[in-house]
Amino acid sequence: MNFELFETRVLPAKNKLFRFAFRLLGSSEEAKDVVQEVFIKVWNGREQMSEIQNMEAWCMRITKNLALDKLRSKRHQTTESLEDSFDMQHEAPTPYETTEIRESMSKINQWISALPEKQRQVIHLRDVEGYSYNEICEILELDMNQVKISLFRARNAVKEKFLKVNAYGL
Amino acid sequence: MDSKQINELIEKYWNCETSLEEEQLLREYFNGQDIPESLKEVATLFQYFEREKTKSLDSSFDENVKKRFREGARVRSLSMVQIVRIAAGVFVVIAATFFIRKEIKEAYPDEIAETYTDPKVALEETKKALMMISNSFNKAEKGAGQIKIFNEAETRIQGKAQPAKNDKKQL
Repeated sequence: MNFELFETRVLPAKNKLFRFAFRLLGSSEEAKDVVQEVFIKVWNGREQMSEIQNMEAWCMRITKNLALDKLRSKRHQTTESLEDSFDMQHEAPTPYETTEIRESMSKINQWISALPEKQRQVIHLRDVEGYSYNEICEILELDMNQVKISLFRARNAVKEKFLKVNAYGL
Repeated sequence: MDSKQINELIEKYWNCETSLEEEQLLREYFNGQDIPESLKEVATLFQYFEREKTKSLDSSFDENVKKRFREGARVRSLSMVQIVRIAAGVFVVIAATFFIRKEIKEAYPDEIAETYTDPKVALEETKKALMMISNSFNKAEKGAGQIKIFNEAETRIQGKAQPAKNDKKQL
Protein backbone atom coordinates (compact mmCIF):
# COMPACT_ATOMS: atom_id res chain seq x y z
CA MET A 1 0.00 0.00 0.00
CA ASN A 2 1.42 3.39 -0.94
CA PHE A 3 0.60 6.70 0.70
CA GLU A 4 -2.03 7.57 -1.95
CA LEU A 5 -3.93 4.37 -1.20
CA PHE A 6 -3.60 5.04 2.49
CA GLU A 7 -5.02 8.50 1.98
CA THR A 8 -8.03 7.22 0.04
CA ARG A 9 -8.76 3.97 1.91
CA VAL A 10 -7.73 4.57 5.50
CA LEU A 11 -7.58 8.27 6.31
CA PRO A 12 -11.27 8.99 5.48
CA ALA A 13 -12.32 6.68 8.33
CA LYS A 14 -10.61 8.95 10.87
CA ASN A 15 -13.79 10.49 12.30
CA LYS A 16 -15.52 7.13 12.77
CA LEU A 17 -12.43 5.81 14.52
CA PHE A 18 -12.24 8.93 16.64
CA ARG A 19 -15.90 8.73 17.69
CA PHE A 20 -15.60 5.07 18.56
CA ALA A 21 -12.41 5.63 20.59
CA PHE A 22 -14.07 8.60 22.26
CA ARG A 23 -17.11 6.47 23.14
CA LEU A 24 -14.80 3.99 24.87
CA LEU A 25 -12.33 6.40 26.47
CA GLY A 26 -14.41 9.50 27.12
CA SER A 27 -11.47 11.80 26.37
CA SER A 28 -11.00 13.48 23.04
CA GLU A 29 -7.22 13.81 23.48
CA GLU A 30 -6.82 10.12 24.21
CA ALA A 31 -9.19 9.22 21.39
CA LYS A 32 -7.06 11.30 19.04
CA ASP A 33 -3.91 9.50 20.23
CA VAL A 34 -5.59 6.15 19.62
CA VAL A 35 -6.52 7.12 16.05
CA GLN A 36 -2.92 8.15 15.40
CA GLU A 37 -1.69 4.86 16.82
CA VAL A 38 -4.14 2.99 14.59
CA PHE A 39 -2.87 4.80 11.51
CA ILE A 40 0.74 4.13 12.44
CA LYS A 41 -0.05 0.46 13.01
CA VAL A 42 -1.83 0.20 9.67
CA TRP A 43 0.95 2.08 7.89
CA ASN A 44 3.70 -0.06 9.40
CA GLY A 45 1.88 -3.25 8.47
CA ARG A 46 0.83 -2.02 5.04
CA GLU A 47 2.51 -4.92 3.26
CA GLN A 48 -0.01 -7.37 4.75
CA MET A 49 -2.98 -5.02 4.30
CA SER A 50 -3.71 -5.98 0.71
CA GLU A 51 -5.44 -9.15 1.92
CA ILE A 52 -7.93 -7.23 4.06
CA GLN A 53 -11.27 -6.77 2.35
CA ASN A 54 -13.01 -4.32 4.67
CA MET A 55 -10.30 -1.89 5.63
CA GLU A 56 -12.62 0.36 7.63
CA ALA A 57 -13.92 -2.50 9.80
CA TRP A 58 -10.33 -3.63 10.30
CA CYS A 59 -9.31 -0.15 11.46
CA MET A 60 -12.34 -0.02 13.78
CA ARG A 61 -11.26 -3.32 15.30
CA ILE A 62 -7.73 -2.03 15.93
CA THR A 63 -9.26 1.11 17.43
CA LYS A 64 -11.36 -0.96 19.79
CA ASN A 65 -8.39 -3.04 20.91
CA LEU A 66 -6.08 -0.07 21.43
CA ALA A 67 -8.75 1.95 23.24
CA LEU A 68 -9.59 -0.96 25.53
CA ASP A 69 -5.89 -1.51 26.27
CA LYS A 70 -5.57 2.14 27.17
CA LEU A 71 -8.69 2.00 29.27
CA ARG A 72 -7.50 -1.03 31.19
CA SER A 73 -4.04 0.33 31.77
CA LYS A 74 -5.24 3.65 33.06
CA ARG A 75 -8.37 2.40 34.84
CA HIS A 76 -10.51 5.20 33.55
CA GLN A 77 -13.84 6.14 34.92
CA THR A 78 -15.51 6.51 31.56
CA THR A 79 -18.95 7.46 32.77
CA GLU A 80 -17.68 10.46 34.69
CA SER A 81 -15.38 11.72 32.00
CA LEU A 82 -18.04 11.30 29.33
CA GLU A 83 -20.38 13.44 31.34
CA ASP A 84 -17.70 16.01 32.00
CA SER A 85 -16.71 16.35 28.39
CA PHE A 86 -20.15 16.10 26.87
CA ASP A 87 -20.67 19.80 26.36
CA MET A 88 -17.14 20.54 25.30
CA GLN A 89 -16.93 17.96 22.56
CA HIS A 90 -19.93 19.10 20.58
CA GLU A 91 -20.12 21.89 18.12
CA ALA A 92 -21.83 25.05 19.30
CA PRO A 93 -25.60 24.52 19.61
CA THR A 94 -27.69 25.84 16.76
CA PRO A 95 -30.20 28.61 17.49
CA TYR A 96 -32.99 26.03 17.10
CA GLU A 97 -31.57 23.89 19.82
CA THR A 98 -33.32 24.76 23.01
CA THR A 99 -31.93 24.21 26.49
CA GLU A 100 -34.60 21.56 26.92
CA ILE A 101 -33.30 19.54 23.97
CA ARG A 102 -29.74 19.88 25.16
CA GLU A 103 -30.72 18.62 28.57
CA SER A 104 -32.53 15.60 27.11
CA MET A 105 -29.51 14.81 24.95
CA SER A 106 -27.23 15.05 27.93
CA LYS A 107 -29.53 12.65 29.74
CA ILE A 108 -29.49 10.18 26.81
CA ASN A 109 -25.72 10.44 26.77
CA GLN A 110 -25.63 9.52 30.43
CA TRP A 111 -27.89 6.54 29.86
CA ILE A 112 -25.77 5.23 27.00
CA SER A 113 -22.54 5.89 28.87
CA ALA A 114 -23.84 3.89 31.79
CA LEU A 115 -24.53 0.81 29.65
CA PRO A 116 -22.23 -2.22 29.94
CA GLU A 117 -19.21 -1.94 27.65
CA LYS A 118 -20.35 -4.39 24.99
CA GLN A 119 -23.86 -2.88 24.74
CA ARG A 120 -22.37 0.59 24.52
CA GLN A 121 -20.10 -0.47 21.68
CA VAL A 122 -22.90 -2.19 19.75
CA ILE A 123 -25.45 0.65 20.06
CA HIS A 124 -22.79 3.14 18.99
CA LEU A 125 -21.76 1.14 15.93
CA ARG A 126 -25.34 0.50 14.83
CA ASP A 127 -27.23 3.66 15.74
CA VAL A 128 -24.55 6.31 15.37
CA GLU A 129 -22.38 4.86 12.62
CA GLY A 130 -25.00 2.75 10.84
CA TYR A 131 -22.93 -0.44 10.49
CA SER A 132 -24.58 -3.70 9.40
CA TYR A 133 -24.76 -6.60 11.86
CA ASN A 134 -22.06 -8.44 9.90
CA GLU A 135 -19.71 -5.50 10.12
CA ILE A 136 -20.34 -5.16 13.86
CA CYS A 137 -19.50 -8.85 14.28
CA GLU A 138 -16.24 -8.26 12.41
CA ILE A 139 -15.30 -5.16 14.39
CA LEU A 140 -16.12 -6.52 17.81
CA GLU A 141 -15.07 -10.11 17.09
CA LEU A 142 -18.42 -11.39 18.33
CA ASP A 143 -20.95 -13.76 16.80
CA MET A 144 -24.26 -12.56 15.39
CA ASN A 145 -26.24 -13.75 18.40
CA GLN A 146 -24.12 -11.83 20.87
CA VAL A 147 -24.36 -8.67 18.76
CA LYS A 148 -28.16 -8.89 18.44
CA ILE A 149 -28.66 -9.63 22.13
CA SER A 150 -26.37 -6.75 23.13
CA LEU A 151 -28.20 -4.34 20.83
CA PHE A 152 -31.59 -5.53 22.07
CA ARG A 153 -30.55 -5.03 25.69
CA ALA A 154 -29.02 -1.64 24.99
CA ARG A 155 -32.07 -0.31 23.14
CA ASN A 156 -34.40 -1.68 25.77
CA ALA A 157 -32.39 -0.13 28.57
CA VAL A 158 -32.81 3.24 26.82
CA LYS A 159 -36.52 2.56 26.26
CA GLU A 160 -36.95 1.72 29.95
CA LYS A 161 -35.35 5.03 30.88
CA PHE A 162 -37.78 6.89 28.59
CA LEU A 163 -40.70 5.08 30.22
CA LYS A 164 -39.40 5.95 33.67
CA VAL A 165 -39.04 9.59 32.74
CA ASN A 166 -42.62 9.63 31.49
CA ALA A 167 -44.00 7.82 34.50
CA TYR A 168 -42.12 9.67 37.25
CA GLY A 169 -40.82 12.71 35.43
CA LEU A 170 -37.23 11.73 36.41
CA MET B 1 -44.93 8.99 6.52
CA ASP B 2 -47.88 9.07 8.94
CA SER B 3 -47.56 8.66 12.68
CA LYS B 4 -49.04 5.15 12.57
CA GLN B 5 -46.24 3.96 10.29
CA ILE B 6 -43.71 5.74 12.45
CA ASN B 7 -45.07 4.09 15.59
CA GLU B 8 -44.85 0.69 13.93
CA LEU B 9 -41.28 1.38 12.87
CA ILE B 10 -40.36 2.52 16.37
CA GLU B 11 -41.79 -0.66 17.82
CA LYS B 12 -39.75 -2.65 15.31
CA TYR B 13 -36.73 -0.55 16.25
CA TRP B 14 -37.03 -1.37 19.97
CA ASN B 15 -37.29 -5.05 19.09
CA CYS B 16 -34.22 -4.85 16.81
CA GLU B 17 -36.27 -5.90 13.79
CA THR B 18 -35.57 -2.84 11.62
CA SER B 19 -33.23 -2.93 8.67
CA LEU B 20 -30.52 -0.31 8.18
CA GLU B 21 -32.76 1.40 5.60
CA GLU B 22 -35.69 1.59 8.03
CA GLU B 23 -33.43 2.97 10.72
CA GLN B 24 -32.25 5.60 8.26
CA LEU B 25 -35.90 6.50 7.56
CA LEU B 26 -36.49 6.98 11.30
CA ARG B 27 -33.36 9.11 11.60
CA GLU B 28 -34.42 11.33 8.70
CA TYR B 29 -37.97 11.64 10.01
CA PHE B 30 -36.95 12.60 13.54
CA ASN B 31 -34.35 15.07 12.36
CA GLY B 32 -36.93 16.81 10.20
CA GLN B 33 -39.67 19.29 11.07
CA ASP B 34 -43.28 18.83 12.27
CA ILE B 35 -42.80 16.01 14.72
CA PRO B 36 -45.99 15.27 16.70
CA GLU B 37 -45.81 16.11 20.39
CA SER B 38 -46.27 12.46 21.39
CA LEU B 39 -43.07 11.51 19.51
CA LYS B 40 -40.94 14.48 20.60
CA GLU B 41 -39.24 12.51 23.32
CA VAL B 42 -38.18 9.55 21.21
CA ALA B 43 -37.16 12.04 18.53
CA THR B 44 -34.39 13.32 20.83
CA LEU B 45 -32.84 9.86 20.78
CA PHE B 46 -32.47 9.93 16.99
CA GLN B 47 -31.36 13.54 17.13
CA TYR B 48 -28.77 12.50 19.69
CA PHE B 49 -27.43 9.79 17.35
CA GLU B 50 -27.30 12.25 14.48
CA ARG B 51 -25.51 14.79 16.61
CA GLU B 52 -23.00 12.24 17.83
CA LYS B 53 -22.12 11.66 14.20
CA THR B 54 -21.02 15.26 13.81
CA LYS B 55 -18.16 14.81 16.26
CA SER B 56 -15.01 15.01 14.23
CA LEU B 57 -11.30 15.52 14.40
CA ASP B 58 -10.07 18.99 13.60
CA SER B 59 -8.45 19.67 10.26
CA SER B 60 -4.97 19.80 11.78
CA PHE B 61 -5.17 16.06 12.45
CA ASP B 62 -4.54 15.06 8.83
CA GLU B 63 -1.55 17.35 8.65
CA ASN B 64 -0.14 15.94 11.89
CA VAL B 65 -0.53 12.37 10.65
CA LYS B 66 1.11 13.14 7.34
CA LYS B 67 3.89 15.04 9.08
CA ARG B 68 4.43 12.13 11.44
CA PHE B 69 4.69 9.71 8.54
CA ARG B 70 7.12 11.99 6.79
CA GLU B 71 9.15 12.18 10.03
CA GLY B 72 8.99 8.40 10.18
CA ALA B 73 10.58 8.29 6.75
CA ARG B 74 13.23 10.73 7.92
CA VAL B 75 13.87 8.59 10.99
CA ARG B 76 14.50 5.68 8.62
CA SER B 77 17.10 7.69 6.66
CA LEU B 78 18.59 8.88 9.95
CA SER B 79 19.09 5.29 10.97
CA MET B 80 21.28 4.90 7.87
CA VAL B 81 23.42 7.73 9.23
CA GLN B 82 23.50 5.93 12.54
CA ILE B 83 24.67 2.74 10.83
CA VAL B 84 27.54 4.69 9.26
CA ARG B 85 28.36 6.15 12.67
CA ILE B 86 28.41 2.71 14.27
CA ALA B 87 30.62 1.39 11.45
CA ALA B 88 33.01 4.32 11.98
CA GLY B 89 33.10 3.55 15.71
CA VAL B 90 33.91 -0.10 15.08
CA PHE B 91 36.67 0.91 12.65
CA VAL B 92 38.23 3.24 15.25
CA VAL B 93 38.21 0.43 17.88
CA ILE B 94 39.84 -2.04 15.44
CA ALA B 95 42.47 0.49 14.37
CA ALA B 96 43.23 1.39 18.00
CA THR B 97 43.62 -2.32 18.91
CA PHE B 98 46.00 -2.82 15.98
CA PHE B 99 48.25 0.10 16.96
CA ILE B 100 48.25 -0.76 20.66
CA ARG B 101 49.28 -4.35 19.84
CA LYS B 102 52.04 -3.02 17.62
CA GLU B 103 53.27 -0.75 20.41
CA ILE B 104 53.27 -3.61 22.94
CA LYS B 105 55.19 -5.85 20.53
CA GLU B 106 57.81 -3.19 20.04
CA ALA B 107 58.13 -2.53 23.76
CA TYR B 108 58.43 -6.25 24.70
CA PRO B 109 60.02 -8.10 21.76
CA ASP B 110 59.24 -11.78 21.62
CA GLU B 111 62.19 -13.79 22.96
CA ILE B 112 61.21 -17.18 21.63
CA ALA B 113 60.23 -16.35 18.11
CA GLU B 114 62.74 -16.53 15.25
CA THR B 115 65.69 -18.01 17.28
CA TYR B 116 66.95 -20.36 14.54
CA THR B 117 67.25 -19.82 10.83
CA ASP B 118 68.54 -23.28 9.83
CA PRO B 119 65.90 -26.05 10.13
CA LYS B 120 68.58 -28.72 10.80
CA VAL B 121 69.97 -26.83 13.79
CA ALA B 122 66.43 -26.24 14.99
CA LEU B 123 65.73 -29.98 14.76
CA GLU B 124 68.91 -30.81 16.73
CA GLU B 125 68.01 -28.29 19.40
CA THR B 126 64.48 -29.71 19.63
CA LYS B 127 65.89 -33.22 19.95
CA LYS B 128 68.18 -32.03 22.78
CA ALA B 129 65.24 -30.44 24.55
CA LEU B 130 63.13 -33.57 24.18
CA MET B 131 66.01 -35.74 25.47
CA MET B 132 66.31 -33.51 28.51
CA ILE B 133 62.58 -33.89 29.19
CA SER B 134 62.90 -37.67 28.66
CA ASN B 135 65.79 -37.92 31.19
CA SER B 136 63.83 -35.97 33.72
CA PHE B 137 60.89 -38.33 33.22
CA ASN B 138 63.15 -41.35 33.82
CA LYS B 139 64.51 -39.87 37.06
CA ALA B 140 60.96 -39.19 38.22
CA GLU B 141 59.94 -42.74 37.37
CA LYS B 142 62.71 -44.16 39.62
CA GLY B 143 61.39 -41.98 42.43
CA ALA B 144 57.88 -43.23 41.77
CA GLY B 145 59.22 -46.86 42.03
CA GLN B 146 60.36 -46.18 45.60
CA ILE B 147 56.84 -45.01 46.45
CA LYS B 148 55.61 -48.36 45.10
CA ILE B 149 57.85 -50.23 47.61
CA PHE B 150 56.52 -48.06 50.39
CA ASN B 151 52.92 -48.86 49.39
CA GLU B 152 53.62 -52.61 49.29
CA ALA B 153 55.15 -52.43 52.80
CA GLU B 154 52.10 -50.60 54.06
CA THR B 155 49.66 -53.23 52.72
CA ARG B 156 51.81 -56.02 54.23
CA ILE B 157 51.72 -54.34 57.68
CA GLN B 158 47.99 -53.94 57.42
CA GLY B 159 47.63 -57.64 56.44
CA LYS B 160 49.48 -58.71 59.57
CA ALA B 161 47.66 -56.35 61.87
CA GLN B 162 44.25 -57.69 60.80
CA PRO B 163 44.67 -61.35 62.03
CA ALA B 164 46.10 -60.05 65.32
CA LYS B 165 42.78 -58.22 65.94
CA ASN B 166 40.87 -61.40 65.14
CA ASP B 167 43.04 -63.38 67.64
CA LYS B 168 42.10 -60.95 70.39
CA LYS B 169 38.41 -61.49 69.68
CA GLN B 170 38.80 -65.27 69.84
CA LEU B 171 40.38 -65.01 73.25
